[in-house]
Amino acid sequence: MKTILIVICATLLATITNAQDKYFTKSGKIYFDATSPKSPENVNAITKTAVCVLDTKTGNLQFSLLMKSFEFERALMQEHFNENYVESNKFPKAEFKGTITNNSNVNYAKDGVYNVKVSGNLTMHGETKTVETSGTVTVKNGKLIAVAEFAVTLADYKITVPQLVADKVAKTATIKVDCTLDVLK
Amino acid sequence: MQEHQTIKQMQMKKKSIIRYVMLLLLVLAAALAFYMYKEFNRKPKNLSAATADFTLQEQQLLNEFAADEKTATAKYSGKVIAVTGTVKAVETDDTGNSTVILGNSSSMSSIRCSADSLETQAVAALKPNSSITIKGICTGYNTDELGLGADIILNRCVLVKQ
Repeated sequence: MKTILIVICATLLATITNAQDKYFTKSGKIYFDATSPKSPENVNAITKTAVCVLDTKTGNLQFSLLMKSFEFERALMQEHFNENYVESNKFPKAEFKGTITNNSNVNYAKDGVYNVKVSGNLTMHGETKTVETSGTVTVKNGKLIAVAEFAVTLADYKITVPQLVADKVAKTATIKVDCTLDVLK
Repeated sequence: MQEHQTIKQMQMKKKSIIRYVMLLLLVLAAALAFYMYKEFNRKPKNLSAATADFTLQEQQLLNEFAADEKTATAKYSGKVIAVTGTVKAVETDDTGNSTVILGNSSSMSSIRCSADSLETQAVAALKPNSSITIKGICTGYNTDELGLGADIILNRCVLVKQ
């Protein structure tokens, strides 16, 4: 009886400590900008419903977003994006699974801004490619603010840009990540 | 002489026909240009004026996605959905974006309604456990692979007055 109790307590304790290592958000912001340098109009969009989970113990980092949640200024651009470019009916999600490679440099218990290096796999439009980038993790009042910026080459993900709009849509898109994570209770 | 006259008349007639055709083409071109201009500058749908493609209860929507994500995604994503349910919580981030979370507080799964920026005030006044109807564009389903509960996402949501 005692051992059972101890085991139960131990597992409970383990899950509690485990849980406090994890931070998450379901309303992360991810921007992308694929405006070509000579383009007269901006080709950019934002999603405010990205899911992000960070395990501070291991540095494991995951993002997941729905392609249809990208909001454009022009409805036509949004429709083209979903129908012709990323085919969001066929590939509804984009995902990133990676790690903070210098996780030990971040003191999650102390407020401050920490430079981090992230590497992992980005899956979108049915293609998976390795992505490496640097960014910052800001520890502030028990929350984490994860910010990063990196470029993806559209051709790597088999996203083809028609010749007609080649002067507007760049061959590489800049992705900006801005997520405020809360501790997972 | 008589013959000469008719030829001249015919030529004039031809000229006026060509003129009419030209005018018609011009009007058509202008209409096309106008349409293209409108289409190019078209803003995403104003949701408060849009009619819902689907009107249903929170539980019904959650059940459909839980039972068969693919079919439900094909059916609902990109569509305007008006859903009636219980407010679990309202989250507002530091930049003022609000999310209304509909669902049963005993379940991890919920419908996350990202509010239109014009609705921030109305949404902030919502009380937990109150019943509301909210309208938004469904963008899909996040499965429970991260251990945070599965969620249906509605975007650019507006409250439906009752």
